[in-house]
Amino acid sequence: MVGHSSGAALAEPEHTTAPVVRLEDVHKSFGDNVVLDGIDLTVNAGQALVIIGPSGSGKSTLLRCVNLLEPVDSGRIFFEGEEITGKGTKVPAVRQRIGIVFQQFNLFPHLRAIDNLTLAARRVGKIPRKEAEQRAQELLERVGLVDKARSYPHQLSGGQQQRIAIARALMMRPHVMLFDEVTSALDPELVGEVLVVMRDLARDGMTMLVVTHEMQFARDVGDQLIFMDEGKIVEQGDPADILDRPKAERTRRFLRRTLQLADSLEELTIEEGGVE
Amino acid sequence: MTLVASFDWNFIWEHIPDFWTGLKATLKVAAIGIGGSLAIGIVLGAARAHRIPVLNWVAAVYVEVIRNTPILVQIFFIAGGLTQIPGHPIRLEPFTIAWLSVMIWGGAYNTENFRAGFEAVPWRYREAGLALGFSRIATFANVTLPIGARIALPSSINTYVSVLKNTSLLTAIGFAELTDTAYSLESQSFKPSEVYLALGATYLLVVWTLSALVRLVERRLAIPEAR
Repeated sequence: MVGHSSGAALAEPEHTTAPVVRLEDVHKSFGDNVVLDGIDLTVNAGQALVIIGPSGSGKSTLLRCVNLLEPVDSGRIFFEGEEITGKGTKVPAVRQRIGIVFQQFNLFPHLRAIDNLTLAARRVGKIPRKEAEQRAQELLERVGLVDKARSYPHQLSGGQQQRIAIARALMMRPHVMLFDEVTSALDPELVGEVLVVMRDLARDGMTMLVVTHEMQFARDVGDQLIFMDEGKIVEQGDPADILDRPKAERTRRFLRRTLQLADSLEELTIEEGGVE
Repeated sequence: MTLVASFDWNFIWEHIPDFWTGLKATLKVAAIGIGGSLAIGIVLGAARAHRIPVLNWVAAVYVEVIRNTPILVQIFFIAGGLTQIPGHPIRLEPFTIAWLSVMIWGGAYNTENFRAGFEAVPWRYREAGLALGFSRIATFANVTLPIGARIALPSSINTYVSVLKNTSLLTAIGFAELTDTAYSLESQSFKPSEVYLALGATYLLVVWTLSALVRLVERRLAIPEAR
């Protein structure tokens, strides 16, 4: 039981020397398809790690392995110093401390925004409804949606739904937040409002693993960036360094295609711009 | 019109207490049958949808047997088919036979209704539940059940209405429900027009009321969606 004071702070970093998340030689395949091929990774408290890479490179699977939605084939994952890939792990208890936000929001369609937030707190956290709703109101205020508490998901825009989803994940006072391409399903003009919420979260000291295609976000908010391809970490380091001066050829090719390294579309050929 | 003119309305009026007694038995049996079939539907529907070992197969056989035999045969089987088990003959009270047979019948159809409902719940909602720290059972109770039951509601309403109407077949074992009461009255009085008109009108009123009530519930519970 850690940090159950009822303050409004979003992040409550652990005072521990162990990294919040550590992966040790993690392998994962779906059939013959190798998705994670020996991943080693350390994320310290308060750090925002940004993960970029082409689709199918294993980015999402990496996040899903961290909160145990996918079992790893081999290797080990540690959460706050404890191995969570071992046999005796209490999976629901681990997941309560790891928040995840999905590309498709996944808000419960039959519940109002406020009830989407409080459901798990009341039923899993055993927090009385009144207390849970008070915390939910605080979080809705933080994501700028206090007036939408009584709305159903379908009455909200994609950006609003995603901000509700972030608030829902924060209800359980997670020690780390995972973001799985959370702006990829949004209309362009709705991306900003979600990224701002995430930026503020990072500034408050939340430990974050962020899979994204938003390079500006990676540059501004990321403390560390990894580029993944074919299940491997190809390059790792300071976001601006990698985005501006990638060392690996594969990283450069990816960044040219996403127009991060090319000044204009004219620089690209069809071979370079297309998919292999 | 001569039929109506020659009607002995007084006869119906005089026998309202009899109809009422029969109707009470019908409603009691239907209520237990509906409640039981709801419970069976949720448990076995979940076992089917989530492929719970053993229970899944038991449920599959149960559903096939009930859906592919006439309910009248099922009633006879429960009433008489179990009385000849050597050493352990099972003789049930008429009332027990009554609610048991309509419950077993409705439960089979409801198993299919709920199986379809639970399977229609998108995986991403269940995943969101798991990610929030719900155990698998808690995810079922808090996510799959409320969403899936709403999806299953229209078809399960049809099942409840059928359970109520099927209680009339219990007259075959002489259980004194509404139809059986009417049948007895008719054989004593030789006034089939009056008796069966009153019987039909009573069912119409009762079944229509049940449908209206559950549709009200359906509207209240429907998953809100953009129109």
